Amino acid sequence: MFLPDVDTMTAVLYFGLFAMSFDFVSGYTGYLSFGHAVFYGTGAYFVVLAANGKVPLVPYDAPFLLLVVLGGVLAVVLSLLIGVVSFRLSGVYFAMITLGFSQVLYVFVRDWDYVGSSPRDGPAVVGPPDAVAPSFNVGIPGVDALNLAIGGLAGDSIEGLFGVVNLSSTEVTYFMAGLVVLVCYFAMQRLVHSPFGRVMVAIRENEERAEAVGYDPFRYKLAAFAVSAFFAAVAGGLFAGVRRSVSPDNSLFFLVTGDALLASIIGGFGTLAGPLYGRLFDESVREFLSKEGAGGGLLPYLRNTLPEGVLQTETIGGLTVQEGIGAFLNGHAALYIGILFVLFVLYVPNGILGTVRDRLGATTVAKWAGARLTSGGDGGSVRASSED
Amino acid sequence: MTGLGIDLVVAQSLVDGLGQFLRPSTLFSVLVDGLAKSALFLMIATGLTLIFGLMGVLNFAHGSLTMIGAYLGGLIMVLTVSQGTPNGTRLAVFFVGLFVVFGVLAALGGVIEVGLIRPLYDRPPIYQILLTFGVTLVLDELVRIVTLFYDIQPVADWQAALGTKPTWFTDPVDLGLASVRGLALFEILFGVATVVAVWAFLNRTRYGLVVRAGSEDSEMTEALGIDVRRVFTVVFALGAGIAGVAGMLLMWDKNWGASVPLAAETLLPAFVVVIVGGLGTFRGTVYAALIVGLADAVTTWWFINVVDLTFLPEVVVFAILVLVLVVKPRGLFGLAEVGGH
Repeated sequence: MFLPDVDTMTAVLYFGLFAMSFDFVSGYTGYLSFGHAVFYGTGAYFVVLAANGKVPLVPYDAPFLLLVVLGGVLAVVLSLLIGVVSFRLSGVYFAMITLGFSQVLYVFVRDWDYVGSSPRDGPAVVGPPDAVAPSFNVGIPGVDALNLAIGGLAGDSIEGLFGVVNLSSTEVTYFMAGLVVLVCYFAMQRLVHSPFGRVMVAIRENEERAEAVGYDPFRYKLAAFAVSAFFAAVAGGLFAGVRRSVSPDNSLFFLVTGDALLASIIGGFGTLAGPLYGRLFDESVREFLSKEGAGGGLLPYLRNTLPEGVLQTETIGGLTVQEGIGAFLNGHAALYIGILFVLFVLYVPNGILGTVRDRLGATTVAKWAGARLTSGGDGGSVRASSED
Repeated sequence: MTGLGIDLVVAQSLVDGLGQFLRPSTLFSVLVDGLAKSALFLMIATGLTLIFGLMGVLNFAHGSLTMIGAYLGGLIMVLTVSQGTPNGTRLAVFFVGLFVVFGVLAALGGVIEVGLIRPLYDRPPIYQILLTFGVTLVLDELVRIVTLFYDIQPVADWQAALGTKPTWFTDPVDLGLASVRGLALFEILFGVATVVAVWAFLNRTRYGLVVRAGSEDSEMTEALGIDVRRVFTVVFALGAGIAGVAGMLLMWDKNWGASVPLAAETLLPAFVVVIVGGLGTFRGTVYAALIVGLADAVTTWWFINVVDLTFLPEVVVFAILVLVLVVKPRGLFGLAEVGGH
C-alpha cells in the first residue's frame, strides 16, 4: 500500500544496486569512494553509445547483457587506473582525489559532442543513423525464447502466461531488472562472506594489523575497488537500459554519489543489502510527498480530508494552509530526506538493516534464514558466520 | 595530407595565440583577472581550512553557507539600495551588510556545531562529513523553498542583486597597461584584507594562539585549562561567518551571482583549494588559491581567444587537484596528521 509504483520500484532496484556497489567498497573497507558515480556513468554511457553504434568494434545490436558486462569491464580498467593513484591516500584525501577524478570526467563528458548533439542533456538510444534503435533484452543471449525486452515503452509485455499471468511492459522491466540486481547481489554477497571479504573488514577495522598479519592491503583495496566499479557499471547499464537515455547530471555528477551515500547510511553502512532498503525508504518518502503520490501520497490525502475552512485559514503572514502545504510539501522531499538523514547519522548510525541486526542479533537472523533456506546464502552479516 | 594540414592550422593558431598572450597588456589583464579569481577562491576556502585545521571536520555545508550569505547579502542590498543611491552610500551599505551577514552566519554556524557536530566527536571522522553533507541538503532545500515562494528565480542568477553594485565596479578602470574591471580590483583588495585579518587573528591575538595550540594538540591544550570545546564552537562560527562574507562578495560578480546551485559551485573549488594547499594550513590555502585562480584565468583566456574547448577552465581546477595529490599526497604544505583529537 505504501510501496511506490512499479516505475519507481525499478529505479529503486538499479539505483539500489549502485548504492550496494558503493557500500561494497566504502562500507566494507572504510575508504569513502566519493567519485563512485564515475563508474555508474561509465556503464550507462557505454550502453547508450554502443546502442547508437558509436563504440568502435562493438556492433550496435550486440546483446544488452553483453554490453552491460563490457561496460563493467571498462569500468574495471578505469577503476584500476584511478585506484593505483588514489589508494596511496586515505581518509579525506582519498575521498577528495576520487571526487577529483570523477569531476574531471564529468566536465569532459558534459562538453564532448561525440556523445550526442547536445552533450549537456546527454544522449538517448536512437540507434545508428541508418538503422532502428535496438531493444534491450535480459535473458540468455542467443536464445530468443528466453529473452524479454526491458524499457517502459519499448519493452515486452506478457499476456496469459500459464493462463493467468499478465504483465505490462513496466512490470516486465521491473522483474527483469530485479533478476539482474539479484544475481549481482548474490555475487557481491558471496565475495563479502569469503576470506576476501574478511580481509576487507580487517582493513576497515585496522589496516596496520591486517598488514602485520601478512596481507597486502593495497592489493585487496584495489581488488575491492575494481569489483565495486564493475557492479556500479552494471547498475549504470541497467539504468540506461530502462531509461533508454542518460545525461551527465543523472549519472556522472558528484551528487549522484551523494544519493548512494544517503541510501547506504539510511539502510545501513557496511551491510550489503542495506543500501537497497535505504533507497526504497528514500524513494517511498519522495513518492509520499509528491503531488500525485501513486502509493497513497500525503498531498492528495490532505487535500481530500482537510475541510475547506481549514485549508483557507490564514496562518503567519497571510499564508493560507493550502498555500503552506503547497510551499512546504509539494516536491520538497529533499528537505525531509535531508532531515531524516541527519537524524539517522546522529541517532541510528548503523542504519535500518544494521540496527535490526543488532537488535535481533545477527546470528539469530542467520539461523532463522538458514533454517528456512536449506541451501544458499545465510542472510546474515559478516559477523554472523564464523565457519568459513 | 589533410591531417597534416589541420595540424598546421592548429599549430599556426597556437603560435599566434602565444604571441598575443605574451603581449604585456594581455599578460597584465590576465594577471589581474587571475588575482581576482584567487581572491574569491581564497574567500570561499578560508573558513573551510580554519575549521578543518582545528577540528578535523571537512565541512560539506560550507558551500551552502556561502550561498545563504549571497542571498542574505543580496537581500540587504536590494532592500536598501534604489536607482538613485550614490556609489559611496552603496559601498557603505555593503560594509554594514557584511557585518550583518557575518553575524547571522556565525550564529548559524555556532548552532550547527553545538547542536549537531558536538555529539559526533567521539565517532569516526566519517560521521562528521556525513552529517555536514545532510545539513547541506536541508539548507539548500530550505533556501529553494523560500526563493520559490517569493518568486526569486532559484536557478538563474538573481539579477536584482547584481544590479546593486556601485557604478565604480561596472566601469572599466584604466591602469596604464590595460583597462580592467573595477570589481576585479575590489575583489583583490578584499582578498588581501582577508589574508591580513586571518593571519593577524591567528598570529597576533591571544585567541589565535589558543586556536593554533588546539590544532597542534587539543589534549595538551585542554590539560592547560583551556575549554577546547568552546574554541571549536567559536572557530566553526568564524568559518561560517567568513563563508557568508565570501557569499556576499560573490553576489556582485556576474560569473557567480546568488543562486541555489552556488552551493555546489563554490564547494568544489573550495575543496580543491584546501586540499591542494594541504588540509588545515592557512598558508597552503593562500598559495593554492593563487595557483588555482591564475591557472583558471590563463585557461579561460586561451579558450576564449585561441582554442575552442569550453570545458578547459573547469577541468583545469580538478586537474590541478589530481596532479598535486599524485605528486604530493598531503598537498603542498600539508602535515602528516591534522586535527588530532
